Amino acid sequence: MNRYVCTVCGYVYDPAKGDPENGIEPGTPFEQLPDDWVCPVCGAEKDKFEIEN
Amino acid sequence: MIVQEIKKDVYGIIMNDWDRRLFDELIPLPDGTTYNAYLIKDKKSVLIDTSDPRKTDKFISILKKVSGGKIDYVISNHSEQDHSGSIPAVLKEFSSARVITSDKGASLLNKLLLVPEDKFIRVKDGEEIDIGERKLKFFHTPWVHWPETIITYSPVDKVLFLCDLFGSHLATGSFYASGNDRVYEAAKRYYAEIMMPFRNHIKKHLALIDGLAIDIIAPSHGPVYNNPQFIVNAYKDWVSDNVKNEVVIPYVSMHGSVNTMVDFFVDKLIERGIDAKPFNITVTDIGELAISMVDTATVVLGTPTVLGGPHPSAIYVTYLFKALRPKTRFVSVINSFGWGGNTVKLITDMLPTGDIEILEPVIVNGYPEESDFKLLENLAENILKKHRGLNIT
Repeated sequence: MNRYVCTVCGYVYDPAKGDPENGIEPGTPFEQLPDDWVCPVCGAEKDKFEIEN
Repeated sequence: MIVQEIKKDVYGIIMNDWDRRLFDELIPLPDGTTYNAYLIKDKKSVLIDTSDPRKTDKFISILKKVSGGKIDYVISNHSEQDHSGSIPAVLKEFSSARVITSDKGASLLNKLLLVPEDKFIRVKDGEEIDIGERKLKFFHTPWVHWPETIITYSPVDKVLFLCDLFGSHLATGSFYASGNDRVYEAAKRYYAEIMMPFRNHIKKHLALIDGLAIDIIAPSHGPVYNNPQFIVNAYKDWVSDNVKNEVVIPYVSMHGSVNTMVDFFVDKLIERGIDAKPFNITVTDIGELAISMVDTATVVLGTPTVLGGPHPSAIYVTYLFKALRPKTRFVSVINSFGWGGNTVKLITDMLPTGDIEILEPVIVNGYPEESDFKLLENLAENILKKHRGLNIT
């Protein structure tokens, strides 16, 4: 599973960790995040993320 | 300080901070600001938000008088200290009071102000609390402008309390916004500096607000809106995807080359009917620059190359641009260099991915010559074509 980085603030979504504070279980791939999920650090939408190099 | 009854038993307590000139050690406040709290005296006595710590003592003394010595609940719509900062003092004065907020609000207030966990009543989105003659309803409205923000609605009073959303940094003796022609600009400045990054979140919140019957919009900075449509319509315009036939040109020039190019470029834009807005970064109020970015279709950054890259003040503006996330569609760079460097790439690499199209930059070795002025004119023409493509000319 790819890690994705927020191009606005640099937050990295790690699917192994998920985003439990916002209801995302560990093990959830980025592609399966709900459409209204946003960067937990800066609020940027999913389309502002790209695969981490 | 102004205390005014806005509906029966509903009071606004506005603490003016007339001479504050900087917020977050970042944002200029040419008109000062206010911290607004609200008090509803029902069977339960409810305080909505508090005041900046700069005003705590005066705020508590006023609150004791207006409340008659009874506070049961303190609603925290937003955990930032300019509104929450007097909560510890309120809890000390009114020891049985509980703090109503979201889960995330409780967590932040605990971390930022050391409010004990057992003081909180955590409300979910859409939850209501009965306070006597009224029920207060809470909506989770995250990212205006922190992740924990909520708004409080009193259906009986038709008043919406939404803390920072719709606020303005404007100290004034006028309690209400109606008839105060300084409010629009102050509210737009506030939007540009604080709310613009969260434009798409605000769109959703505006749809929610449209479904509520509202007589008064009660923000926590600036005058109270007794004509709610004024600010709702302004926000609908600002958060829309519509851009204007404008080019904002933040620039810095060390020895005059960039200055000469920007000067020529501005004239070429104006000749084409495009509203050009140059800002010499070294003397610009960044709030003014942020306001200009609310509507503009295009931003062109002018910078010399120094130490192999952009001038540091140009990097600062690029960083702000990235952080503020305006709806700008086109970006370009005007650059003068002496003997090399990687200025344009360093700037464009800082921009977020998404809807911004980078237009061919103008990169000049030294002082501009005739062929360089032609390139600047080409850029103006290219921008005109792009703007025509958006049907905004």
